[in-house]
Amino acid sequence: MIAGLGLLLGVVLGLLLQPQVPPWMQPYLPIAVVAALDAVFGALRAFLDGIFDDKVFVVSFVSNVLIAALIVYLGDKLGVGGQLSTGVIVVLGIRIFSNVAAIRRHLFHA
Amino acid sequence: MTGGARSAVRSVPPPQAVMGLLNYITAHSLDEDYAHVSAQRTADGDRSVRPGSAALVVMLLFGLLVTIAGIRTAHNAPVSQTNHAELVTQIKARSAKVDARRRQIEAVQADIRTLQAQYSQATAEGQSLATQLGRLGVRVGSVPVHGPGVRIVVDDAPSAPSARYRVQATDLQVLVNALWLSGAEAIAVNGQRLTSLSSIREAGTAITVNFRSLSPPYTITAIGNPNQLPARFADTRGGSTWFDLQAAFGLRFHTTSEESLTLPAAHRLSLHLATTPEKLR
Repeated sequence: MIAGLGLLLGVVLGLLLQPQVPPWMQPYLPIAVVAALDAVFGALRAFLDGIFDDKVFVVSFVSNVLIAALIVYLGDKLGVGGQLSTGVIVVLGIRIFSNVAAIRRHLFHA
Repeated sequence: MTGGARSAVRSVPPPQAVMGLLNYITAHSLDEDYAHVSAQRTADGDRSVRPGSAALVVMLLFGLLVTIAGIRTAHNAPVSQTNHAELVTQIKARSAKVDARRRQIEAVQADIRTLQAQYSQATAEGQSLATQLGRLGVRVGSVPVHGPGVRIVVDDAPSAPSARYRVQATDLQVLVNALWLSGAEAIAVNGQRLTSLSSIREAGTAITVNFRSLSPPYTITAIGNPNQLPARFADTRGGSTWFDLQAAFGLRFHTTSEESLTLPAAHRLSLHLATTPEKLR
């Protein structure tokens, strides 16, 4: 409930303000979104499992976004940015899929 | 006994070492901290699992992040579209320029021809030179030719199981050489005027004449006496080769006499050798 409210507020704020992103940050935005998606689905699953915790959510969200962006940044500096972002996407993608599968089992008992 | 048990314990490696990385990621997709913290909380006797204001802030951040990323991508799409449109206009402008230059070349060439004609008309020597130039031009292929002649259409056999049942470059060479031998004054294959430097070659599966790829059926137009040309052609070795090809492989070969044929000038003619006449030196 409160999480949905936060999401709605964030989207509305983003649409209203349309904040400018500095150019050096733009390449890391998509990967940050994927990492954030992983943290959010993980939190949802934890909530349905009954083991949700605010502090863990905050820490996992922030560290996911920062580490994903950092890995891609490092990759860019080393000349393997494309490959490293593929690796990050694969790992996060697997996590998202298996978390969503667990959520589905919770919601539909199937 | 105890030593054996200890070594058994020690020989069980951690799961991430046995499972393989991808399997491990799949099995441990949820952050282990959740389970850890919840276990600690149960031990402490707490039972609060409701998301609080921290979750609200984080979800707000998440929504903001997604929206910003979406807006950025939406902004970038029109940029690539305008790039494409710009390229298209550039291509159009450049090809218009090429067309203009080509027209310029044609105009200059026409100028050269009129000047040449004026010059040769002016002097008796020039006049003889002009007739010579005209006569040679027919042979060389630098001027278009009109006149009576024959039109020969050759094509592959109706069902061609192998290459031998198709018209090949060598077949066309034999045909054209036989026509020269029979007294043809000018020859064109599918509108490509043959000169003394023309080549009929095989390039992949297509036949190229003057470096242009042709496709069957091949129409050979030859200027010459339409009454004599077919009979003389039949007498040549090339002619009999073609009658054999027709009989044995079913290649199609059809000759018609034409009262008036027009052969274009050759496209690729370059000056290799030139001298100034004695008088002008």
